Amino acid sequence: MLSWGAVKWVPETTAYDEAFEKPAAPRPHYRGLVTTLESFTLDEIDRRERLQKISLVDQGITFTVYGEKDGIERIFPFDFVPRIVPAREWERIEAGLVQRVTALNLFIADVYQEQKCLRDKIVPAELVLSRKEYKRELLRLTPPRQIYTHVVGTDIIRNDRGEYLILEDNCRCPSGVSYVLENRNLLHRVFPEFFTRYPVRPIRDYPRLLLDTLLWSAPRASESPVAVVLTPGIHNSAYFEHSFLAREMGVFLVEGRDLIVEDSYLYMRTTGGRQRVDVIYRRVDEDFLDPLTFRRDSLLGVPGLVNVYREGNVAIVNAPGAGVADDKAVYAYMPALIRYYLDQEPLLGQVPTYIGLRKDDFAYMREHLAKLVVKTTGDSGGYNMLMGPFAGRKEIDAYAAQLKKAPGNYIAQPLIELSSHPTWVDGRFEPRRIDLRPFILYGETIRVLPGGLTRVALRPGSYVVNSSQGGGSKDTWVLAARGS
Amino acid sequence: MLSRVADALYWMGRYLERSENITRLLLVTEDFSSETQGLAEQVAQSAWKDLLAILPSARVGPPASAFAPLSQAYLHGFFLDPANPYSVHYSLRRARDNARSVREALTVEVFLALNETFRALETHARRGLSDPPSYRDALGSAHRGLFAIVGAIEHTFTRDQGWLFLKLGESLERIYRAALVLRVKLPGLAAAEPRADVALYYTQWRTLLRALGSLENYRRSYGARLEPELVVPFLLLDPHSPRSLRYGLEAVKGYLERIAGGGEATPAMRLVGRLHADLCYQDARVAAAGADAAFLDRVVDTVALTHEALAAQYFVT
Repeated sequence: MLSWGAVKWVPETTAYDEAFEKPAAPRPHYRGLVTTLESFTLDEIDRRERLQKISLVDQGITFTVYGEKDGIERIFPFDFVPRIVPAREWERIEAGLVQRVTALNLFIADVYQEQKCLRDKIVPAELVLSRKEYKRELLRLTPPRQIYTHVVGTDIIRNDRGEYLILEDNCRCPSGVSYVLENRNLLHRVFPEFFTRYPVRPIRDYPRLLLDTLLWSAPRASESPVAVVLTPGIHNSAYFEHSFLAREMGVFLVEGRDLIVEDSYLYMRTTGGRQRVDVIYRRVDEDFLDPLTFRRDSLLGVPGLVNVYREGNVAIVNAPGAGVADDKAVYAYMPALIRYYLDQEPLLGQVPTYIGLRKDDFAYMREHLAKLVVKTTGDSGGYNMLMGPFAGRKEIDAYAAQLKKAPGNYIAQPLIELSSHPTWVDGRFEPRRIDLRPFILYGETIRVLPGGLTRVALRPGSYVVNSSQGGGSKDTWVLAARGS
Repeated sequence: MLSRVADALYWMGRYLERSENITRLLLVTEDFSSETQGLAEQVAQSAWKDLLAILPSARVGPPASAFAPLSQAYLHGFFLDPANPYSVHYSLRRARDNARSVREALTVEVFLALNETFRALETHARRGLSDPPSYRDALGSAHRGLFAIVGAIEHTFTRDQGWLFLKLGESLERIYRAALVLRVKLPGLAAAEPRADVALYYTQWRTLLRALGSLENYRRSYGARLEPELVVPFLLLDPHSPRSLRYGLEAVKGYLERIAGGGEATPAMRLVGRLHADLCYQDARVAAAGADAAFLDRVVDTVALTHEALAAQYFVT
């Protein structure tokens, strides 16, 4: 344990430490922060942390955890030690993300148009066409401006050598951006001193950029189009974010029951009668969007919406069907797809992936379950996964039995050592594993919000950073390049 | 604006006003009952029981023990009991649920104030309050919290349709509750003989004014003279006191007109306009006599009908 004065830093041994090269030696871009933190007394840090918690509860910055009985709202724990990304590192991440999102969009367009990549056997056709995320109903349907993935959240981790690796793409309804903005606000208020030593790139502009992105995709772009945010409602885990974004963009937050289809146009029910809607930023799972096309039991959607979309009278953001691209098995083919569509080498690496659908891979998975992280291709949020290295024999056997029933539904990856970051836990700085979810907007151009959501696994040694599984978050700083 | 949002803001206004009304009634009744407990126990007890008539379909459990003061059961039941649909806790929770469902239509300040006030209430409900003084303390701070919310609304809301629907809910609830308070209290007061116990008699009239948040405004008009023939017309007809029936009806008329934005009178406007005219175009003597059960029942019914007309026109489209 290291200590100057009262503040103690607990070092991490196995993972890549974001802040320290070795014990007592902060990396150059963390020196200012470490110095500032060491100038505080423990009491002062405690006091500030309390202020921060009260502020979160008072503002109702909460999320909902499914399957929990007591109270539906919980705060998303915020750790005040910011994660710092130097300008040079960010340039590479940004370029890699722009490249990836370009390829993702080309891939989706291809899947719903000519299916060249399937005919050329870049991706096995059955892998794509058998997914429930593949919507046959949408074949040959071109969305406005040919954009499918207007808002992407891509999860990035760092291995034990500090390399950035892409772990997962979220092309449907990536959430978390409201916490990115609120975390920055909170840190500004609670620890203003932190910001004096760093040229931190601002992120406040996101709602405007998002609105630009939405309006860019509107079918009648010239006549001041109307955009809305579509939420499943107050009981959804990300409701806070839906309402936050609607408020920040100054657009209506609607539920399915507020919308109505008439003569191939979409309207919302207002006190002054019906008003036409041109763009839906939908935060409803696509299966629930339209009971006439997808799930018939959906009460959240709008009957006839897909027909309006088909007629080109509404833009849906992200486009329904975009989920084929963030499938965990398709992920394995992303490097090949980038080469195929863009004739470029991928700028960002990713995690080696075994696919249950491939015989050899499946055999390997079954042999090595204890070493692998196994995920189902459908679920997200850390639900229904096996962490082989931490699982008991029984758990592994039970999972293996499940696996055998539908090999195609599973993928496996070696356990990647997530980087760790000093995090304030019980009165000292302990290492906790983190990841990063940057947000990418695809409008007139592709833009990456500088920073993103850094999620932190608050349990010691844990690799699971999801908010639904006890994770927290940090403010993420991207530094401006010197002299720019 | 969205019909659903208008509906939620309208109910947020109603529940906020209801929370404030109940809080005030509890504070006033607690004062009155502790003041009169020794003098006239029957009167003190019936003041508590009146709450059940003013807040119909409310539920209050039995006292915790035979020795607990009667007030305790009512204070708990109407302040903190989350299951009583007319408790402050319940009403404020509903106000907050409505606010949460349309958070994008509110300002941060309003949501903050609402959240803080509700959280304080939840803390009391969790820990429990031991005796009337601690209830009074908690009620007092809840009352201030409620005014902080109302103040935040006044100072930060843009005056758009959303604001109008919120204020409409607030005013309708206020008229409704005031009519019920008068309906329950006036018959007993009118029957009481001042000669029997002058001090008690005037305490009851003073308490009525306080229960309707009008004592200080009344004094500004009439000084300390508490004459029933002045008090009733004041509560009904004063043009400036924000809690008189007339003021409330005028406010509702104004909001309805602005929401309709010109053109023909809407069904809700016709209902409220008629009631307002009948209330105003009678002289004070008639008004005092007119504060009989039939007229007050009509006020209550008109508010209910107005609500239905609003729902049909704006909330279910």
